[in-house]
Amino acid sequence: MSFPVYNTEKSREMFSRATKVIPSGIYGHLGPAEGQFIPVSKWPMFAEKAKGTYVWDVDGNKYIDYMCAYGPNVLGYCDPDVDAAAAKQTALGNCTTQPGKVMVECAELLVDTVATADWAFFAKNGNDATQGAIMCARAYTHRKKVIMFSGYYHGVSPWCQKIDYPGVLPEDVANNIMLPWNDIPLLERTIEENKNEIACLIAQPYDHGNFHDNAFPEEGFWPKVREICTKNDIVLIVDDVRAGFRLDLAGSDHFFGFEADLICFCKALANGYNMSAICGKEFLKGAMSSLAYTGSYWLSAVPFAACIANINKMKALDIPTMFKQKGEKLCNGLVKAGKEHGIDLVVSGAPALFYLRIGNDDSMLLHQEWIAEMVSRGIFLASHHNHFINASLSDKDIKRTIEIGEECFGIVAKNHPELFR
Amino acid sequence: MMTDAKTLAYINMYAVLGTLENLCELDKEASELVKTKKPVSIGLEVKGGPSATLTFLNGRCRMEQGTADCDFLLPFSTPEKFNAMVDGTGSALPSKGFSKVFFLLKKFIPLTDILSKYLRPTEEDLKDDKFFEISTKLMFYVITVALSQIGNNDEIGKFSASLIPDGIIDVSIKDCVSATIQVKDSHMITIKEKPEAFRSQMQFCDIRTARALFDGKINAIASIGEGKVEMHGLINMIDNVNRILDRVALYLA
Repeated sequence: MSFPVYNTEKSREMFSRATKVIPSGIYGHLGPAEGQFIPVSKWPMFAEKAKGTYVWDVDGNKYIDYMCAYGPNVLGYCDPDVDAAAAKQTALGNCTTQPGKVMVECAELLVDTVATADWAFFAKNGNDATQGAIMCARAYTHRKKVIMFSGYYHGVSPWCQKIDYPGVLPEDVANNIMLPWNDIPLLERTIEENKNEIACLIAQPYDHGNFHDNAFPEEGFWPKVREICTKNDIVLIVDDVRAGFRLDLAGSDHFFGFEADLICFCKALANGYNMSAICGKEFLKGAMSSLAYTGSYWLSAVPFAACIANINKMKALDIPTMFKQKGEKLCNGLVKAGKEHGIDLVVSGAPALFYLRIGNDDSMLLHQEWIAEMVSRGIFLASHHNHFINASLSDKDIKRTIEIGEECFGIVAKNHPELFR
Repeated sequence: MMTDAKTLAYINMYAVLGTLENLCELDKEASELVKTKKPVSIGLEVKGGPSATLTFLNGRCRMEQGTADCDFLLPFSTPEKFNAMVDGTGSALPSKGFSKVFFLLKKFIPLTDILSKYLRPTEEDLKDDKFFEISTKLMFYVITVALSQIGNNDEIGKFSASLIPDGIIDVSIKDCVSATIQVKDSHMITIKEKPEAFRSQMQFCDIRTARALFDGKINAIASIGEGKVEMHGLINMIDNVNRILDRVALYLA
């Protein structure tokens, strides 16, 4: 079977319009530069509509979307239950002078759901949550330094960018200490060398950075980190913005067998409705209260209603188990399809957030070629980033993905007879 | 952001004066000017900084590291003094080889004047297609060599270089000019020729696009979206090179 190759001409036209009035046309991770649209001609740039696991671009092409808006799509785009809850709240009020009672109900649900949560604090984006968590830790400890692990991504505030990024000052990152994963002796030595100066350790639950195979920490790593942080009065923050709820509805710290002091959520929290949250332990509630930290839309009611409906549905569906099964089925099928053509597809990370790489070369060139062929046949993947499973992804979608995957592996193999005979 | 004089001296030595090699290949007047029957070599030595020898023979120029075999030597006690000489606001006196002062004054300095004309062109000059092409090629070499110098010497540049995986990066203007950037253990070397193979590639689709980007007239990120700049391979190599590229503009401003 041969799958047709899409034309994305209207996306190009729209992008040309965009560059005239928007810096970079599409900035950030959704854009062609950061999103690694290689080659750009194969990729859709603008969506017309979305439903379930599908996105239709402005040229009318339909995609099975494995990026899920980089995470927020957890149940499926335009989920009827979440949208109904949001619509009901919209009719009652959204951005009002007094927050809706739904905010309290949402906080109560998070406290009941997230293992480490004694309270919940709300904001809008993942970066708001990580920024708030760092401020809370500094307010509580009266210390300034922050430990992070290599491959980190904690948002776009200057402190969590790097010294060589445009607009970032050396002073912005002067209190950051970057350490490798799994090196407990180095962590202990670093803490000793910075005695009483480290406010917090912030980390994603596992290394799900870009451009490299994703990896879980070694057995016993997290409990040991927990022990060291407790011993040294260092606030332990889990940045669960990306992985949150996809591994464990009680939080990814719960999945790895420890308790964070603060945990940050965003993407899967409200199925695309705009909110983020910090959940924390009782002893940090006062410090969190002390912060001058808020925003015009942070307590808007509609996302809270969406969040409640979303969490309840994720619980009912047992999302972590479902995502593990779907992720494994998909990845196993793709690996097998690759083997048919002598292509070694390497899968890493949690199945719910699978990361792919063709292992036959170390340059990603083959992988980018395969990804581009997939995208241009309606399977939206990324070449540099982990992917996301959503609940609307059906067995039929997985089957189609594997079939297109096999065809595209064949194209790559045919393009490189010197590598694949 | 701050720049430092020592890094600028490395850029001036290898990226700016090093481009005399290419100038003599690309510009007939420059080549004629240094057409010597016997080789003449000028050593440039910056205390606590770079040192190199430019050798001229048969209208060609070649730069090599160190000053051991030069006919005459221009010593500079500080990077600042060397930078001032390159910038045209300072001067230098040879410490040996006074008999070659004629070459210095009548050949070398006019040669650098030709280079300046190409590297700091007027809008009028750029209307000439041949001039435009030579100027853009020379700028390309200056930028690609400066990348490695900043990655090896500038504090923030060294941070960026430390995040570049080992391998070869191909930086090219399509069907025009290429450079190889080799990265090994965070040390960068630029070779002014196309690599046989690469781990990542950044390619400008044509010379006009490259020029517009060099001059800051178009946006690099938007150009990627428009397909005018293509990236392939291990993009985190290019990502970090682009961080350094930001600093190239700062040093060469």
